[in-house]
Amino acid sequence: RRRKGPGALATGYLVIYNVVMTAGWLVIAVGLVRAYLAKGSYHSLYYSIEKPLKFFQTGALLEILHCALGIVPSSVVLTAFQVMSRVFLTWAVTHSVKEVQAEDSVLLFVVAWTITEIIRYSFYTFSLLNHLPYLIKWARYTLFIVLYPMGVSGELLTIYAALPFVRQSGLYSISLPNKYNFSFDYYTFLILVMISYIPIFPQLYFHMLHQRRKVLSHTEEHRKSE
Amino acid sequence: FVSYQVEILDWETKKQLCFLDKVEPNATIREIRLMFHKLYPRWYPARQSIKLDPKGKSLRDEEILQHLPVGTTATLYFKDLGPQIGWTTVFLIEYTGPLFIYFLFYFRMTFVYGLDERFTSSPHPVVNLACICHSFHYIKRLIETVFVHRFSRGTMPLRKIVKNCFYYWGFAAWLAYYINHPLYTPPSYGKKQINFAVIMFLLCEAGNFSIHAALSDLRRNGSKTRKIPYPTKNPFTWLFFFVSCPNYTYEVGTWISFTIMTQCVPVGLFTLLCFIQMTIWAKDKHCTYLREFKDYPSHRMPIIPFLL
Repeated sequence: RRRKGPGALATGYLVIYNVVMTAGWLVIAVGLVRAYLAKGSYHSLYYSIEKPLKFFQTGALLEILHCALGIVPSSVVLTAFQVMSRVFLTWAVTHSVKEVQAEDSVLLFVVAWTITEIIRYSFYTFSLLNHLPYLIKWARYTLFIVLYPMGVSGELLTIYAALPFVRQSGLYSISLPNKYNFSFDYYTFLILVMISYIPIFPQLYFHMLHQRRKVLSHTEEHRKSE
Repeated sequence: FVSYQVEILDWETKKQLCFLDKVEPNATIREIRLMFHKLYPRWYPARQSIKLDPKGKSLRDEEILQHLPVGTTATLYFKDLGPQIGWTTVFLIEYTGPLFIYFLFYFRMTFVYGLDERFTSSPHPVVNLACICHSFHYIKRLIETVFVHRFSRGTMPLRKIVKNCFYYWGFAAWLAYYINHPLYTPPSYGKKQINFAVIMFLLCEAGNFSIHAALSDLRRNGSKTRKIPYPTKNPFTWLFFFVSCPNYTYEVGTWISFTIMTQCVPVGLFTLLCFIQMTIWAKDKHCTYLREFKDYPSHRMPIIPFLL
C-alpha cells in the first residue's frame, strides 16, 4: 500500500500548523527571557509561561492525527509515543504535583523543549515550502546532542522531585477493595517511568546521531557535486 | 526431457551458496529445500526462505520448478529465517502457562498474597466459577491445538515466542491476581450478572469450538490450501453468513463474558487488547480471502457483523 503524501490543501494546513507552533514556542522563549530579566533570577520561571506551555505542548497531539491521516510520513506509534510522553510530563507531573513547579529541573526541560521545538517546527515549515536553509537543518540535527540529555535530565529530576508528594497525597492511586477490582499505585508507576528512560533514551539518541551522519553528509555530497 | 540446473544465492551478498545439477523439472521447492539442507545441515527446511527475487516472498513448498518463471538454469535466493519453532509447540507453551499461573493465584501460594493468606480460599462462589471458566478455556485451547487445528505454515520464528509468552503469561498473572485477591469484590448485580455471564461464556466457547471444527474439516484430506468456509448444519457456524472469522468473534465474546462475570478492570483491559489484536488478524484474513477467491461472499465483514 503506497503512502499518500499531502495534497495541496493538506500542505497548506501543515504550513499553517507549523508556523503557529513555531510562533507559540517563540512566545514561550520570549516569556522566559522577559521573566528572567524582570525577576533577576532563573528560579520559578515556570509560572510565567505555564499557560502557553500547556497550550502548545498539548496542541502537539494533532501531530498524531497527521500521521494517522497519512499527510505526514511518520509512524503513528512513534509519534504518539513521543507526544504522549511530553504531554504526560506537562500535565500528569508538573501540573498535577504543584510542589515541583518551583524546582529548577522544570526550567531545565522547558528550555530544552523550547529551543528544540522552535527549530523543529521551523524545519518542517521550510521543508514544506521546499526552501530549507542549511542552518536550520544543521541546527536540528546538531543541537539535540546537548538539548536531548538536558531535557531528559530535567524530566527525570522533576519526576524524582514529585515522588514524595505523590506518596504522601496518594495522587492518581486507587487501592483495593473497590467494585472494579483494580489497584494502581502512581508512585510505583512514576518509578517505572523513570526506569524506562534507561533503555529508551540511548536508543533514540543514537538513532538521532545516525540520522545526523546520514543527513548532513548527504548535504555535503550534494554541495560538492554542484 | 530437459533437466534443470538450480543455483542458490545468498539474498544479501549474492554469493553462490550451492549449485544443483540435473534437477528434475517437476521437482518441488520442498525437495530443493531438502537438497539444500543436506549441504548446509544447520539450515533445516523450516528455516529456509527460498525466493525468486532477493526482496520477494518466500516460495511455498508445493511450488513446482518448471512452473516458475525461470529458465532451465534457475537462480533462487536464500534467506535464513532464524531458529524456528513449530506452531503446535508454540500454542502448547503459550496456553499451558496461563493455565498453571492462574492456579498459583487461585490456591494463594505463599509468595502471592503473603504468609497470612496462604492456601486460604475465597468466600465468594464467583471466584471458584471464574477459575473453572478460565481453566476450561485454556484446556479447550490445548485440546484444539493437539487434535483440531491444521496449520498451513509449520513454524514461526523462535524470538517471537518469548514476546508472546510475556504477554499471555503476564496478563494471566495480572488478572488472576485481582480475581483471587482476598479483597476481591463480587459483581455489583450479583447472581443475575454472574448467571448471564456464564451462559454467554458457554455459548461463545461452543461457538468458537464449532468454528474451529468447521475450519479443520475444510482441510480434512491433509491439504494445505485455503478454501472458503461456509455455514454448516451447526447453528453456531451460521455466523459465517455475516463474518469471515467468527472464531475471533466468539473469542472476544468469551472474554467479554469473563469480564462481566468477574467485574474486573484488568480483565476488561485484556479483553480490549484481544479485540484489537483479533480485529487486525481478522482484517488480514478477510483481505486474503478477497484476494484469493473471486466468488467470495461480498457482504461478509471481517469480525463484527455489518460493522467491522
